[in-house]
Amino acid sequence: MTINIDDKNNENQVEESSRRNFIFGSVAAAGLTIAPGVMLYQTAGARSLSDFSLSEKASSNVRWGMLVDTTKQVDWNKCVEACNKEHGLNNETHSRDDQKTQYIRVVNVKNKGTGYSMSLPVMCQHCENAPCVDVCPTGASMKRADGIVLVDRHRCIGCRYCMMACPYKARSFVHEVLTDQTENTPRGKGCVESCNMCVNRIDNGQLPACVEASEGAIIFGDLNDPQSDISQLLAKHGSRQIRADLKLNPGVHYQGI
Amino acid sequence: MGLHLNLSLHKLPFMLVGVAFIATSSIVNAGQSELGPRVTIPESSGDKCILPASEMRRRHPDLLKHDRIQTLREGLRANADGSMLDGSLKQCVNCHAIKSDDKYVRIDNNEHFCVSCHKYAAVSIDCFQCHRDIPEGSSNFHALSGTKKHYGNVLPGVYTLTNKDVANIAPEVRSDDN
Ligand code: SF4
Ligand code: SF4
Repeated sequence: MTINIDDKNNENQVEESSRRNFIFGSVAAAGLTIAPGVMLYQTAGARSLSDFSLSEKASSNVRWGMLVDTTKQVDWNKCVEACNKEHGLNNETHSRDDQKTQYIRVVNVKNKGTGYSMSLPVMCQHCENAPCVDVCPTGASMKRADGIVLVDRHRCIGCRYCMMACPYKARSFVHEVLTDQTENTPRGKGCVESCNMCVNRIDNGQLPACVEASEGAIIFGDLNDPQSDISQLLAKHGSRQIRADLKLNPGVHYQGI
Repeated sequence: MGLHLNLSLHKLPFMLVGVAFIATSSIVNAGQSELGPRVTIPESSGDKCILPASEMRRRHPDLLKHDRIQTLREGLRANADGSMLDGSLKQCVNCHAIKSDDKYVRIDNNEHFCVSCHKYAAVSIDCFQCHRDIPEGSSNFHALSGTKKHYGNVLPGVYTLTNKDVANIAPEVRSDDN
């Protein structure tokens, strides 16, 4: 689950500085970081998750997003484990490790010049202008009204265009017959899948699994509501989006990268 | 992949002939119960389904399609009156799961609720390549009776599948909106 960029045996190894540019984009020089240790306080939000009813349609008044504080000393692998458990992932028996589904990965980056290293969790960034949705020939790759990007497996034909289009490598393809799926996350051979922001939990008034496991290092909320915790934190401390230069406006924001 | 109801249409005339044949012979041999293959419809455990059984038998493919658009694409997961009848397939599975020797039977078993009829009707479904085929034991879980009810032979009067019904169902089943 961990991509170690310094791994000399990694055939995908990219020269460090270019990988860093790849991830952080042209705004890397802007230097907007919040000091390590800045606490992301839980403030009183306007509408909380529990205000949304199961019998309400997803609404475009809401845009769900996440704010990841990478300065927190959190073991991101806990988030990966929580995600795998929630969605019943990592149950492939024949696939190679690099074929197995990942909804969320831990990416380690190191600046060779200064020696500074850090790790960050990367999941589907739930782009506003999602390239995976643009390229899908069947309408399977879709954005829900509230900004959550998912694959409608009823329509997916497994062409994997979306995997090529996604700049964050967020999508996986299931290569083998699966059994014993969880009841909330149907998934099977021949379909592409990615982080769905735990849509089953959100619709049920619960936080996404990785948010729960992150010990407060990932804040979830409504980006459209200026009173929400996440909006207040973003207004106060700012954030960075990975590859902001692509202007996809991801719903996942980072601090400390 | 999608719920492709591969109702082999070229087989339908034969099925209808079959039904007609059974109907004729049942008149001749009225009272005999061992005519033709039997379909065992397992009993479910919930209080009631969203429609009467006769309607469900005929219309469940359309309902499933409708519900999956509501739940997945629109994010609507309960009835408008707030009752927690989840439109996702897991609710169907929770009520209709069958136990044999105290274990749930899986989709590769002919006793599985969906398989029991679809096998007879030669309708292959691939819902369960992705969907879980047995309950997970969540809070939505209903107590299961696991008993079976035999409806006897498929006779007119039990299943009223007429030419008109087939004409009504077939275009929906074949529709591209899957
Ligand atoms: S991160 Fe990738 S999969 Fe997620 S919305 Fe953006 S392009 Fe699509
Ligand atoms: S793999 Fe599926 S979701 Fe991705 S582009 Fe092809 S049909 Fe669409």
